[in-house]
Amino acid sequence: MTERPDTTDDWLERTLAADAQEFRAGYLADDGFTARVAAALPPAAVALPAWRKPAVFVLWTLIAIGAALALPGAALDVAWESLSFLARHKISVTDIASALLALGAASWAGAAFALRRDD
Amino acid sequence: MAQSTVTDAQLIARVVVQDDRHAFSELVRRYQSIIRATLRRLTAGNHALADDLAQETFLLAYRNLKSFRQEARFSTWLHRIATNAFLADARKRKEELLGDTVAEVADDDDAEMPAAGDATGDHARASNLRMDLERAMAVLSEGERAAIVQCYHNDLSHEEAAYVLNCPVGTVKTHLLRGKQKLKAQLEAWNT
Repeated sequence: MTERPDTTDDWLERTLAADAQEFRAGYLADDGFTARVAAALPPAAVALPAWRKPAVFVLWTLIAIGAALALPGAALDVAWESLSFLARHKISVTDIASALLALGAASWAGAAFALRRDD
Repeated sequence: MAQSTVTDAQLIARVVVQDDRHAFSELVRRYQSIIRATLRRLTAGNHALADDLAQETFLLAYRNLKSFRQEARFSTWLHRIATNAFLADARKRKEELLGDTVAEVADDDDAEMPAAGDATGDHARASNLRMDLERAMAVLSEGERAAIVQCYHNDLSHEEAAYVLNCPVGTVKTHLLRGKQKLKAQLEAWNT
């Protein structure tokens, strides 16, 4: 200890110093302690194989292509319906600005929540 | 020892990057003695509780090793975790521990305390005094005991002790002063 307010001739200081010296000189045998700690560690995470990500990507792509082939014209129908819906309803610049503002606010709130620090 | 050629920082890096369990076991092996001995002092000689808290300390260290920024020595960081574990446990058991300690000290005061005159010579007297000191530590508050153990037994500076105890330096000094006053009063009472 670097700073010690009391004088060293104090009997308590001497006793504490002697006790501390004895304490530091002692060594506790492991007696299986390290093994007990190692056994209590959480199980190691299983490393995923490197091919997993590309395989999942390819699988989803195949599913999407398969769905598109199995339902011919469905995507086109959805697109036409969406266009006709928009044509039926007049959308003002204010509506677009409001929607953009709401989307922006939601994005910022989401980003702020995701980047928050739990101090 | 061949193992000591690998530094703590290298072992920590292996644990963090590769989740190397052997590297972590080596860290435990290096520091188990000082952490368990410190906790034995903090728990006033309760070896079973001290070992439970030591195990909790190393498990917490393993989980939080990524957040260890090497601003302090690894041993100081471990002492901080151990002291926090001890203080949290002491808060939980406060009522029970306080009752036991008071009863134990009262009993010791009446029956088991060897008289100062029993020992012959300076060495025996000093040895007795050190045994008394260990028992007298039980009358201190957890904070006072932790401050004395960290500053004297673990030889930490006031600043390091403040980091370990997670409190301002002034609080450490106050704990030390009050702790020593209590120890002095207790030891003087036993020896008169």
